[in-house]
Amino acid sequence: MITLPELKNDFNNVGYICDESTALTVFLSLELQKPLLIEGAPGVGKTEMGKVLADILDTELIRLQCYEGLDETKALYEWNYQRQLLRIQMNRNLEEEQVKEDDLFSGQYLMERPLLKAIQTEERPVLLIDEVDKCDPEFEAFLFEVLSDFQVSIPELGTIKASKIPVVVLTSNNERELSDGLKRRCLYLYLDFPAVENEVQIIKAKVPAAADRLAWETARVVAQLRQHSNIRKKPSIAETLDWARALVSLNRSRLDGKLVSDTLNLVLKTRADQDYFKQEIGPEEIDRILKHGGNGGGLSQCR
Amino acid sequence: MSLKEKLPEGHLEENLITFTNLLREKGLSISTPETIDALQALQKIDLLSRDAFKSALQATLVKSRRDQEFFDRLFDYYFAPPEVQRRGAEKAASHKKQFESKMEQACSEMKFKGEALKLNDEELAQYSSMSQEEQKRLQDFMHKTETGVNVKPRFRPVLESVVKSHLRYCRSKSMYEKQNNTNRKDDQTASGPSAGNGAGSGSADAALGEMDIQAIRTTDLPEAEQLLQRLSRKLAIQILRRQRRGPRSGPLDLRRSLRDNMRYGGNIFSLKHKPKRRSRQQILLLCDVSASMKQYSTFVIHFLHGLREAVRDFSCFSFSDNLENMTPDLKSRAGLQHLLDRVIRRSETWGGGTNLGLSLHELMQKHPDLLNGKTSIIVVSDTKTISIDYAVNELNKLKDRVRRIIWLNPLPKEQWPDYRSVGSVAGLVEMWPCNTIVQLEEVLTGRL
Repeated sequence: MITLPELKNDFNNVGYICDESTALTVFLSLELQKPLLIEGAPGVGKTEMGKVLADILDTELIRLQCYEGLDETKALYEWNYQRQLLRIQMNRNLEEEQVKEDDLFSGQYLMERPLLKAIQTEERPVLLIDEVDKCDPEFEAFLFEVLSDFQVSIPELGTIKASKIPVVVLTSNNERELSDGLKRRCLYLYLDFPAVENEVQIIKAKVPAAADRLAWETARVVAQLRQHSNIRKKPSIAETLDWARALVSLNRSRLDGKLVSDTLNLVLKTRADQDYFKQEIGPEEIDRILKHGGNGGGLSQCR
Repeated sequence: MSLKEKLPEGHLEENLITFTNLLREKGLSISTPETIDALQALQKIDLLSRDAFKSALQATLVKSRRDQEFFDRLFDYYFAPPEVQRRGAEKAASHKKQFESKMEQACSEMKFKGEALKLNDEELAQYSSMSQEEQKRLQDFMHKTETGVNVKPRFRPVLESVVKSHLRYCRSKSMYEKQNNTNRKDDQTASGPSAGNGAGSGSADAALGEMDIQAIRTTDLPEAEQLLQRLSRKLAIQILRRQRRGPRSGPLDLRRSLRDNMRYGGNIFSLKHKPKRRSRQQILLLCDVSASMKQYSTFVIHFLHGLREAVRDFSCFSFSDNLENMTPDLKSRAGLQHLLDRVIRRSETWGGGTNLGLSLHELMQKHPDLLNGKTSIIVVSDTKTISIDYAVNELNKLKDRVRRIIWLNPLPKEQWPDYRSVGSVAGLVEMWPCNTIVQLEEVLTGRL
């Protein structure tokens, strides 16, 4: 079993920068063997958490992407009807070989989907159930059995119990309220956009070529943009990183208002947000923030 | 020695159970297995670290962003260091003593011809919380009444009724001011140094969502608009999902099933179903636009306008002394402030007296095509109207012609018994208290 300091250290090593509370919640989820439900705005690192955990635990990541209309046949298992039919047709003309029902409903005709695969895998895998809020409430209810007992029932084969309880990470963008039943079975973690200091660390970890000052200024400007309530689609961490990479490839070591204006497409992805930036913020405001450090401060640390 | 060893047996468990009970009283849904999870989590951490202790409880007991606010407040209060707790207890004892002495004084002052007025504890508390100036004004009034010509002791119930009504008014006013002050303090905190990082947007939303709509200031309208849009989109998605057919929702389509299974040699392996017919419902919004209702009505219009993709027909009427069709105004998408300004200018009836009965009568006479079994009517009103009996009569007629009437009342529920009109209307419609954005979302979720 991994200890809390080891987990924190591993998070840092793989470049997933998070606060103490997040690390502790993940640690408790591993220790108590409870699924972890992560909510938060798009682009704060919810899905990344599943991938990072698989990396840290050095195990397989099994991902179930949820969408409207997802059902057991796509999430749990399905019988390979075509193959079963082929077998029946092939044996029809061979009188000596009678096909028994048990032959048809055996493991070789079972197509395992992510949930069944997670339960049957020998090594403890990480099961990432992504965007669970997008699936239908009926499917959510079906998940109860898997998440509470880590077992599934297949009428033809019986109940299959997990040999090793998988590490389960569920993510939600909170598009709809999840049921109390599902929440009750999980530990809960809300991920917010990172503080400027943490985002600087993320940039440094993921874009090592970025100069200290550039990392600070990029994080500062992004944080400032996120604070504008009229900006509808707030820049995600991935967009911050893309922006930092683009600035590095342009051989820039610091930001200014004009550069932000010229590369705006990388952080603000809707026409309305870009118009808002041009009309209400503008390069002058960015220059002012960068000069005075805004209300988040921190620029002085890298001077 | 660890903290657990230092504590008496069962002390931690008892504290935790009391804490979870308090959270439940605040509306958090915490089951016994979650309490057990919390206890198990505490065994895995360093109990001497306050942050770790809080994070462990938070991970196991809190299940939404909104619950987080209550949790934080209660945790800081309940698990306060001993010296803070002691100071708090001393302060509470002193407050209690002061309160009791004020109540005694109020009893001795509220008299008519030597006999105490029949006021309940709440009314006496309201009197004692008033400023000296306000108290003096009320005493002067009572004194003048008492010493008036031909004022007999049997006049006491009339005076009692007037005094009670005045105290009720003062209570509403002070509640409103208190809410405003709290919001202002929250605003100051939110714009302080801690708001500099990327975090915190959620808690600002939560504060705005819990704020009395009437108290939301013009400067907060952009945030309020965004919050309304998000919540409205969430509800629209829910409604649309319900409306869409499931994979096997309609009746069996035999022709498609046979054709589709030809590839299996005629063996039926996959059944095909016809799409399930579902008709989208119609929503008719009726907004009271008297002075005290303006802001509430605008917010509800904005929220419901966001659902227009999910409902077949959305019509909107404002009413005060007559009815005005606002649907054409809503065709173009406008911001909340813009909507408020434009509708104020457009509506001739805005800010006038309220005649609900006449407006309902006009609706049934002029727009009968909008009223049918698929129509859900949402009324935004505090029920204060002239000729309430006529209004109730018209409401009764309207009720029989539509699917349902949902009444959003911005008056706090505890004040409902004070108004006869609320009692008369509540018996005919589904009435819900609704004076915050969160309440608006909660009431409409699952009902449309």
